[in-house]
Amino acid sequence: MSKESDDRREVKVLTREKLDLRQLVKAPEVGPSVVGRSIVRTDAMLKVTGRLDFGADYLQDGFLHGKILRSSHPHALIKSINTKKAKELPGVAAVLTAESVPGRNGFGAIIPDQPVICGDKVRFVGDAVALVAAETEKIAHQALELIEVEYDPLPPVFDPREALKEDAPKIHEKGNLLSYNKLRKGDMEKGFAQADVILERTYQVPFLDHAYLEPDICMAIPKADGTMLVEGPMQAPFTVRRNVNAVLGVPINKVRVRQIPMGGGFGGKEDSPIDLGCRAAVLAYHTRRPVRIALEREEITLQTSKRHPMIMQIKIGAKKDGTLVAFEGVIYDEQGAYASMGPVIPPAGGSHIHAMVMMPGPYEIPNVKVDAYLCYTNHPYGGAMRGFGAPQVHVAHEQIMDELAEALNINPIDIRRKNGFREDSATATGQVLEQSVGLHDTLEVCTRAFDWDRRYQETGYVDEGKTKRRGIGIGLGWYRTSIGTNNDACGANVYVHEDGSVLLYTGITEMGQGSFTVLPQICAEELGVRMEDVRLVQPDTDVVPESGPTVGSRSTTLMGNAIILAARQVKESILEMASEMLMVPMDRLESRDRRIYDRDNSGKSLEFREVAARCMAKGKRLIGQGWWAPPPPTLDPETGQGNPYFVYTYSTHMAEVVVDMETGEVEVTDYVAAFDVGKAINPKAVEGQIEGGVAMGLGYALMEEVALEGGYIQNLNLKNYLIPTSLDVPDIEPIIVEVENRFGPYGAKGIGEMPNLPATPAILNAIANACGGRVRTLPADPERVFWAIKEAERAVR
Amino acid sequence: MERHRITLKINGESHLFEVESRETLLQVLRDRLDLTGAKEGCGRGECGACTVLINGRPINACLVLAVAVQDQDILTIEGLSDGDTLHPLQKSFVERGAIQCGFCTPGMILTAKGFLDKTPGPTEAEVRRNLVGNFCRCTGYTKIVEAILDTSEA
Ligand code: FES
Ligand code: FES
Repeated sequence: MSKESDDRREVKVLTREKLDLRQLVKAPEVGPSVVGRSIVRTDAMLKVTGRLDFGADYLQDGFLHGKILRSSHPHALIKSINTKKAKELPGVAAVLTAESVPGRNGFGAIIPDQPVICGDKVRFVGDAVALVAAETEKIAHQALELIEVEYDPLPPVFDPREALKEDAPKIHEKGNLLSYNKLRKGDMEKGFAQADVILERTYQVPFLDHAYLEPDICMAIPKADGTMLVEGPMQAPFTVRRNVNAVLGVPINKVRVRQIPMGGGFGGKEDSPIDLGCRAAVLAYHTRRPVRIALEREEITLQTSKRHPMIMQIKIGAKKDGTLVAFEGVIYDEQGAYASMGPVIPPAGGSHIHAMVMMPGPYEIPNVKVDAYLCYTNHPYGGAMRGFGAPQVHVAHEQIMDELAEALNINPIDIRRKNGFREDSATATGQVLEQSVGLHDTLEVCTRAFDWDRRYQETGYVDEGKTKRRGIGIGLGWYRTSIGTNNDACGANVYVHEDGSVLLYTGITEMGQGSFTVLPQICAEELGVRMEDVRLVQPDTDVVPESGPTVGSRSTTLMGNAIILAARQVKESILEMASEMLMVPMDRLESRDRRIYDRDNSGKSLEFREVAARCMAKGKRLIGQGWWAPPPPTLDPETGQGNPYFVYTYSTHMAEVVVDMETGEVEVTDYVAAFDVGKAINPKAVEGQIEGGVAMGLGYALMEEVALEGGYIQNLNLKNYLIPTSLDVPDIEPIIVEVENRFGPYGAKGIGEMPNLPATPAILNAIANACGGRVRTLPADPERVFWAIKEAERAVR
Repeated sequence: MERHRITLKINGESHLFEVESRETLLQVLRDRLDLTGAKEGCGRGECGACTVLINGRPINACLVLAVAVQDQDILTIEGLSDGDTLHPLQKSFVERGAIQCGFCTPGMILTAKGFLDKTPGPTEAEVRRNLVGNFCRCTGYTKIVEAILDTSEA
C-alpha cells in the first residue's frame, strides 16, 4: 500500500533500511510540552454524556437483520440442510448455506480454515451452518428455527494430549497437531546435575472469555459502485478487509472497512469482526441490502474466540542459594476448532511460540529446553486475549519460583533479585537485553511501596475466631512491544493545513485503551502544536495507511514512531520556510506550542499557522507519511534461539489476600503494581491500563473460566461467567517507572496487555502464602482453595 | 400482542407511546426516542450498562417493562448534563480518567448519582458496594471509585 504512494508531491516513504533508528530517541531539546502529560481523553466528553455512537446506536436505511444458525454438535458431519420453510417465511430476505459463499469459504486472522458457512462438517458448537437475513430480528429468529439440519455425529476430542494420539479422530484433514516448536539452550543434563533442588510441577489454565461489555456488531453495506463497506467495532480493520475480499472473491480495493467506536476488545475484537464481517458481507452480497449482525451475549460466548487453555509442565533446578541452573518445560496449547492466529507466524508470532519463548520467565537460566504443541480440539477456538500466550505461562513460572523459594527457604523476593533480568542478561532464546531493562527497578520500588519486608513477617490469622488468614504474594512480569512477525510495521499520514490545524491518519483503533489520545499527543509534540490542533481520523481502510492490527501492545511505540517520522517531514517544510521568513538558520529554529522561534533569540518568532499558510501559498509540502518497522525479529525454528521481540516492558506486582480457611473464599485486600514503561506518554492512561489489567488478572486467578462439558459451554452469560466486580477488585496503587527505550517515541514501550500477566500469579502466590495450599489448576475458586487447604493440612500431618 | 397507550416522563418531558406489553423501557428509549446513552450489554439484568434513574432510583432498563413505569420520573444520561455544562459526576469521571471504552460509563454515572443523592459523603466501601451491579471490564474500578468519592467531597 503506502510504500508506493501516488501522491505527486513526492511522498518520501521511509523504510527500515533508510531509517536511522537512533534519530527517534533524541529527546526534545526543551522539555516536552504535550507528551508526558495526563491529557484528558479526546473522547471523554462524548462518552460521559452518552453521545458517542457505538455500533448498536445507529442504523442504516433499509437494513436487514442477519442471524447465524449454529451447530448442534461439537463434531459432526452435515448430512443435509433443508432451508425451504425458512425461505418461505414472509420477511425473510435470504437463507444461505455453504454453496452461497461467492469466494473462498474460509476466514481466519492468519489461517483461513474456519468456514463462513459449514458445508460438510462442523468442528465446534459455535460453527455456522446457515445464515439468515430478515426484515426484523424476530423474523430472523423464527427463520432459524425453521431450518432443518441432519447431522452424523463424529467422536469429538476435547483434550490436546488426546488430540495428539495416533488414533484420535481427525478434526482437520491435515491432522490435529497444528504446530510443534522447540527451544534449546545449553546442556540440560549438565544443568540439572548442578542443581541442589529440582522441582517438577504441572499448571493448568482454562478457556477465558474476553467479556467486553459491548456486544459484537457489524454492518455490511453494498455500495452502488460495487464496493462492500463493512463497519463495526474492530481491532484489525486491515485483517477484516483481507478476509472479506477473499470471501466475496473480489480484489482488496473493492472492500472498504471502517472501524467505529468500540466498547472494549482485549484481543477478542481481532477475530470476531472477521467472522461477522465475512458473514454480514455475504448476506449483503446476496440481498443487495445493508445487513447488520448483532450478537446477543450468549452468542458472543458461543461463537467468538477465547484465551487459549494450556497445560504446562515444568521441571526446574536451582542451587542452594537460589541460582537457577536449568529449566525444562512442555506446553500443550489448545487451539480449539480453528487456527485463527494460533500457528507460527514467522519468525516468532503465534500463541504457543510466545508462550514457549516466555515460559522460563524474566530470569537468566543457562540451560533451557521447552517443547510447545499447539493442537486442534472440538472446543471454541483460541485467539488473542490481552497477552496472547503470555498470561498462561506467567501463571506457571511465577508460581514455580515461589515453590522453589519455599523449598530452598528463601524469601520470594530474594530468589527474584538473584535471577531477574538486568541489562545485558541473556534470555532463554539467547537474546541479550541491551537496553531498557527496568525489572529490578520495579522490584525495588514495589517492595518499598508495598512494605513487603514488614508484611512478610505479619502473615497469619487476622481474626480472633481464627478462620481467616492473611498472606502476601509477588508476581514479576515481562512482555513484548510487538508481535514478532516479519510484517510488523505501521504507517501514518500527517496533514497540516494553512490555518495550522492538523489531521492525523492512522489505522490504529481505539477500544478504550486511549490510543486516540496518546497518538495525537505524539503528533502535537513533534510538530510543536497543541493537542487541540490535531484531529485524529477514524480508521478507514480507504483513507488511512496500513498499520497492522491494534494488538501486541505495539500501538504507542510502532505507530508513535511512524507519526514522528511523518510529522518530521512536514516540520522540515515549516522550518525551512520559517528560516527564510525569519532569516535565521534552520538548525536554530524550534517549534513549540504553536510558535516557531530562534533558540538563541526567542523574541524572534512566528506563529506556526502563519508559516503553514505561507507553505501552502508557495506550494510547499505540508503532508508527511511515516513508516516504521522495529528491528527485525529472529527465531531459529530448530533451536528457538534469536531476538524474537525488540524490547520488553517489565513489572512487579504485590498482592495481599485474606483467605477464609473454612470456605476457601479469597478476598484481595491490597495491591501495588510497578511498571517500567520506558516513558509514560500519558501517565493517567498508563495507570488506567495497569488498574484494568490487574482486575482482569484477578478474574483469571479467582473466578473466570469458560465451563465446558462435552463441547458445550455451560456458562453462556454474565450471570455465570463471572468477571470481577467493584467488590472483588481492591484499590490498586499503580507505580510508573521510566527506563528509556532507545527504539520508542520519547522512550516509550508497550503497556496495554502487560498488566494482567503478573497479577494472576501474584494473587495465587498470596493465597499459598496465606493458607499453605497451592492451586495449580485455575481458577482458584473457593472449592479449589478449600481442597488445596485440606491437602496442605494432610501434608503437614 | 396487546398494545397500550402510555405516557413516559423522560428527562423532564412527557412522551406518548403505543407499546406492546413486552416492550422494555430500554427498547423504548433506544429505538423510539433515539436515547442511546443507555447501553445494552446483556439484556438480562446482569451488567448494569442500561441503568437509568426511575424516581431517583437506579434501575436496569432492560428488565423494566415500559408499561410499568408510566408517569414516573425517568432520567437518562442525556438528561443529566445541563446543556454543555456537565453534572459534577460527569466532570469528575472525565478528570479522574474513570473512562476507558465508555460502554459502562452512562450506567455507572447514573448508579452513582442515585446513590450519592441518598447517601452523601459515603465511605469507599459503601461506594464499592453500591457499584456491584455495574460491570466495568476496562478500568478495574479504581478511578471510578475515586471519581465518585471526589464528587461527594466537592
Ligand atoms: S443490559 Fe441491562 S443489565 Fe445488562
Ligand atoms: S470503561 Fe469499558 S467497560 Fe467500563
